[in-house]
Amino acid sequence: MGHRDIPVLETQRLVLRGPEPGDYPNFKATFASYRSRFMGGPLNPYEAWMLYAAEIGHWEIRGFGMWMIHLRETDETLGMAGGWFPPKWPEREIAWFIWPERTGHGYALEATHRARQYFYDVAGWETAVSYLDPKNLDSIRLAERLGATRDKVATSVDGSDVVYRHPSPAVLRDGQLKDGIDMEIRSYHDPLFKPKGYAID
Amino acid sequence: MSFSVTYPVLETERLVLRGPQASDYPAFGGFYDTDRSRFVGGPMQPRNAWRHFATEIGHWAMRGFGMWTVTLKDTGAPVGLVGCWYPIDWPERELGWILYPEAEGKGIGHEAATAARAHAFGPLGWETAVSYIEPENVRSIALADRLGARRDDTAERLAIAPDCLVYRHTKGAI
Repeated sequence: MGHRDIPVLETQRLVLRGPEPGDYPNFKATFASYRSRFMGGPLNPYEAWMLYAAEIGHWEIRGFGMWMIHLRETDETLGMAGGWFPPKWPEREIAWFIWPERTGHGYALEATHRARQYFYDVAGWETAVSYLDPKNLDSIRLAERLGATRDKVATSVDGSDVVYRHPSPAVLRDGQLKDGIDMEIRSYHDPLFKPKGYAID
Repeated sequence: MSFSVTYPVLETERLVLRGPQASDYPAFGGFYDTDRSRFVGGPMQPRNAWRHFATEIGHWAMRGFGMWTVTLKDTGAPVGLVGCWYPIDWPERELGWILYPEAEGKGIGHEAATAARAHAFGPLGWETAVSYIEPENVRSIALADRLGARRDDTAERLAIAPDCLVYRHTKGAI
């Protein structure tokens, strides 16, 4: 018996792989910082280690989880994106976070868009939400760029978060939204088309 | 495959110790929902208990060893977790046990911990191990005694439980 085979997802710039023990130092650095305040941090080293082990265990228990995002060229880690569904979570969540020093390049958009595609096309999810801190403007903006919209009737985790519902598989399959996301991702690959405004992820 | 661990399976007269798996969670969560878990980090909200269970699994990936689910050979029912525990910030490698009420009073903890310790001192190559025990946890202290562990008041305590007692298991002395 062993562990699950975690699928490897690829995009033009990124490779998403299951979390590995060797990736822990970067995870710890982020969760030690104030930047992690919207994801349950900051954590002391013990708490961060326990959470990282839980990220791995989540895959084993649920069959899905958070991928580690790697830069294709260098294999460096950039953050994590994927699914999260502990008990008492009202619905399966799509979540993401990028190491603070790697923000501003659209990595979260590219990784999360790819992960969501996997959940819809391969894992058979019909819907997904993201639970966001209303003060976490970067993440709310990313949710909106992913086409998610505020769902005011959905149950939140504990009342302090807001629920963003992702567009359905049918809506994402083709059409303007998909084209728009693809175009924004491409614009990060080619700075000629750098979008106006501030992309923080 | 992103991480791979082989969970060794240990068999004793009455027990099978195997890697933790998703189907073990209800028993684990049920235990951590009660005050019986007060000496092993509980009680916990279900969300935290589940995360802790996920951590039990991830520990194997991180360290290559961890806590086994102790099951009854007869029924396959999980009755606790026993094994090797070494999260970051732990001063030393620990031989730990979490025993559900149905495991108490039958020598199950002793039987499981003896097998786990033999694995630690054998295949894992440990020379020593400790058990961190809350001073009020008289059942656990009794088990450490019966396992031949000795109190080591010079050993470093856990940062998260500075009042805990340290019981030392020494290879060869047992």
